[in-house]
Amino acid sequence: MARLLLRRLVTSVVVLLGLAVVTFLMTQVLPGDPARAAAGRNATAEQVAAVAARLGLDRPLWDQFLAYMGRLLQGDLGTSVFTQRPVLEDVAAMLPSSVELVLAAMVINIAVAVPLGTYAAWRNGRAADAAARLITLLGAAMPVFWLGLMLQLLFAAQLRVLPLTGQLSFGKQVPAITGMTSVDALLGGDLAAFGDAVAHLVLPAITLAASFVAVVARTVRSSMLTALSSDYIQLARATGASELRVVVLHGLRNALVPASTILGMQLGWMLGSTVLVESVFGRTGIGAYAVTAVLQNDLYAVIGTVLVIGVVFVLANIAVDLVQLWLNPRLRHTGGRARRTARTEVPA
Amino acid sequence: MSTDPLLRVRDLRVSYPTPAGPAQVVHGVDLDLAPGERVALVGESGSGKSVTARAVLRLDPDARLSGRIELEGVDLLKLPPRRMREIRGGRVGLVFQDPLASLNPVMTIGRQVMQPLLIRGVPRKVARRRAVDLLERLGVRDAEHRADDYPHQFSGGMRQRVVIAIAVIAEPALLIADEPTTALDVRVQARVLELLRELADERGMSILLITHDLGIVAGFAQRAVVMRHGRPVETGTVEQIYTAPRDPYTKALLAAVPRIGGDVTRPLAVIGAAGEEKEGS
Amino acid sequence: MSATTTGIATGVAARIRHRVPFVEGAALAVAVVVVAMAAVGPLVAPHDPYAVNLTDALLPPSAEHWFGTDANGRDVLSRVLHGARVTLPATLVVIAASTVIGVLIGTVAALGGKVVDEVLMRITDIGLSLPAIILALGLSAALGPGLSSAVIALSVTWWPGYARLARTLVREVKDAEYVDAARVLGVPQGRLIFRHILPNALNTLYVQTTVDVGAVMLVISGLSFIGVGAQVPSAEWGAMIAGEANNLTNAWWAVAFPGLALLLTALAFNLVGDWLRVRNDPTIRREAR
Repeated sequence: MARLLLRRLVTSVVVLLGLAVVTFLMTQVLPGDPARAAAGRNATAEQVAAVAARLGLDRPLWDQFLAYMGRLLQGDLGTSVFTQRPVLEDVAAMLPSSVELVLAAMVINIAVAVPLGTYAAWRNGRAADAAARLITLLGAAMPVFWLGLMLQLLFAAQLRVLPLTGQLSFGKQVPAITGMTSVDALLGGDLAAFGDAVAHLVLPAITLAASFVAVVARTVRSSMLTALSSDYIQLARATGASELRVVVLHGLRNALVPASTILGMQLGWMLGSTVLVESVFGRTGIGAYAVTAVLQNDLYAVIGTVLVIGVVFVLANIAVDLVQLWLNPRLRHTGGRARRTARTEVPA
Repeated sequence: MSTDPLLRVRDLRVSYPTPAGPAQVVHGVDLDLAPGERVALVGESGSGKSVTARAVLRLDPDARLSGRIELEGVDLLKLPPRRMREIRGGRVGLVFQDPLASLNPVMTIGRQVMQPLLIRGVPRKVARRRAVDLLERLGVRDAEHRADDYPHQFSGGMRQRVVIAIAVIAEPALLIADEPTTALDVRVQARVLELLRELADERGMSILLITHDLGIVAGFAQRAVVMRHGRPVETGTVEQIYTAPRDPYTKALLAAVPRIGGDVTRPLAVIGAAGEEKEGS
Repeated sequence: MSATTTGIATGVAARIRHRVPFVEGAALAVAVVVVAMAAVGPLVAPHDPYAVNLTDALLPPSAEHWFGTDANGRDVLSRVLHGARVTLPATLVVIAASTVIGVLIGTVAALGGKVVDEVLMRITDIGLSLPAIILALGLSAALGPGLSSAVIALSVTWWPGYARLARTLVREVKDAEYVDAARVLGVPQGRLIFRHILPNALNTLYVQTTVDVGAVMLVISGLSFIGVGAQVPSAEWGAMIAGEANNLTNAWWAVAFPGLALLLTALAFNLVGDWLRVRNDPTIRREAR
């Protein structure tokens, strides 16, 4: 168990280091002269050179990279040209709203995919198989931003049951505590505002979840099929357990081990997809921030978001490892008693 | 309970639907088990013995069953699913061949042994006490602590004791043991069979032993039914079958049992040499 | 004579029908239609996709304009037909470029020493550890907006999957008996790699590339939608949606049809890719049966 986590930590550090290299290279391929940009349009050659020296741009690449790493480790992601604030502050202000959206999408994802996959496995047959496959491929083919627009058209513009854009209706306010509108509304004890915030969250969360649901459902289905055909399921039935008990208590927990890996990776991908969803729904967040930064040619802000999403991705992977330890007791005893018994293969 | 049989199977037929029409794998089996009696159902793999055993509990939802399976006078084939669940694990326990695959890898041993009791509304504390006691009885040392371990932390023989514990904890009248020792090494095999016999004697429990190995039947069962191609070919007391087998197939099976002091250079009898049917499922 | 030809034709048709299941057949048809659209779209398009005509702005679908017109009075159908011509070649360039990069890196990793393998695979891991759209977004920012930046950015972020796959495939083949035999016979190293190992290792790679067409297409359109890919007057599907999103509530057609084209095209390629995948993997085929 300790070894598993240690290996994950080492890989994580390597990935983060690589990310630092990639983002550093991005600063190098920037068209135009950053020193000139920083010095201003009417600067003389001497002034530009002075700025370059101050920014360390005249030093060798290797030195510049070390300096860049040093700044990163101190949490200095540079200053946004657009907002004129440190990128780290901007990102920290934007991240909670995106996390709120991603978590809401994750809840929808799990709530739909796990029962769907389980049911399809339980009712195993050609029709269920074909349906699962078609839905998966459809989900993978869905242009996220277009789906968002279509949902807006249907539920907000035509049926008028849900708000079109934004995070909170005009005139409502929540205290700024966590930065997640719905959570802050709850913490502030304002149930009306909470309902409003959730209503604003529904369509973007569905949009974000849509392309991920099918993959999870299919994973759950196939691992559930393996679980359901196993002897321990037969034995559970032979003890008189009800079908619900057999499927949920015995089957699902085994089937969720592979699904949790997928879900963890999706957490990172979902954060990436906020780039497409947040602008459609007029939400603030790291995705919308990244888009604005790109369009404003605000390089440090772009790099900041890339780095932060990378860090979140790495953290999500560590979280998945912990969840797997909980789901799969066999992993807990590597080096312990399990090694004595020869057969410890995973049937699921 | 007088001399009425505990289990009475009449003309049991089992078939599976396939795209090419139903495929029949059991063609009319009759079987009687008195209370406390131990009967062996013997045959090669594919003879239909396991299918017959599982049919008693109606475990396979795809199987189409016909005939009569009476347990304590009640026809199991006519029971609604709810009553059938009470029978499973309650009146009839089941032990599978592979003790590794039969245990849920993500659930503690204690939890799995308690399950038949919990399902029947026994309070958790009582259920745990009884599970630990039974595991101790079956030779699991320090069962109080080991109950919180997971299957992968148990050796093969210990796992099979756990599976037996699950099967008998609700004190069934009948235990169906489907090749309970095949996956174990010889020394552990003998011990497990001994345990089963002891349990049966203590509780007045009947056992239906499914096996391909006539060698283990002799010291264990009182009567045996030999099956081939989904049909019983010979029924009788174990003594009869050992000393005076009538069916050529039984003779061939007997010849395949290794005997201490036997002539090991003698060529193996070809099973089916005297047979007539083609190899079926 | 003609009877024989007809006989052969029906025979071939029957064989194709027999080999290709219905849904996949339909998907294949849609994929072919899209490719054909990319080739001849401009010829069959009823109107000029770029002709601005403000008096005809935001007309609903009619006999004259099947898919209606957009805010600038341009015919949506003609623009959708032209869109295949923009999106599809861009997608294919990304797939081709990233396949070349991936195969190169994967092969070097598989055939090089342990250290080379370790270093290259760690780099691959980094590439796989981020959503492609985020890295591509960062690179497009550095390169400046435009379809070509999006294509370049995506090409250099999409290869790690192929590198992983190519490494696995090459490792499987490099120790095969016929390769050993060729080695023993003294076949030179370069010839060994290019004539014996690569052709055998990579003959299933096309399956993964087909599976990926839909995904790459969606990322390109997504980048165009947020404004870093194809720029607004372009008839690229994502850019079209971005340009008309403001009129969503009063002219749904200008948004709905380009997206539908995108969805159907991606779905068609996904279906074909999935079918190839199932057909090429004996274990999956057994499970599906």
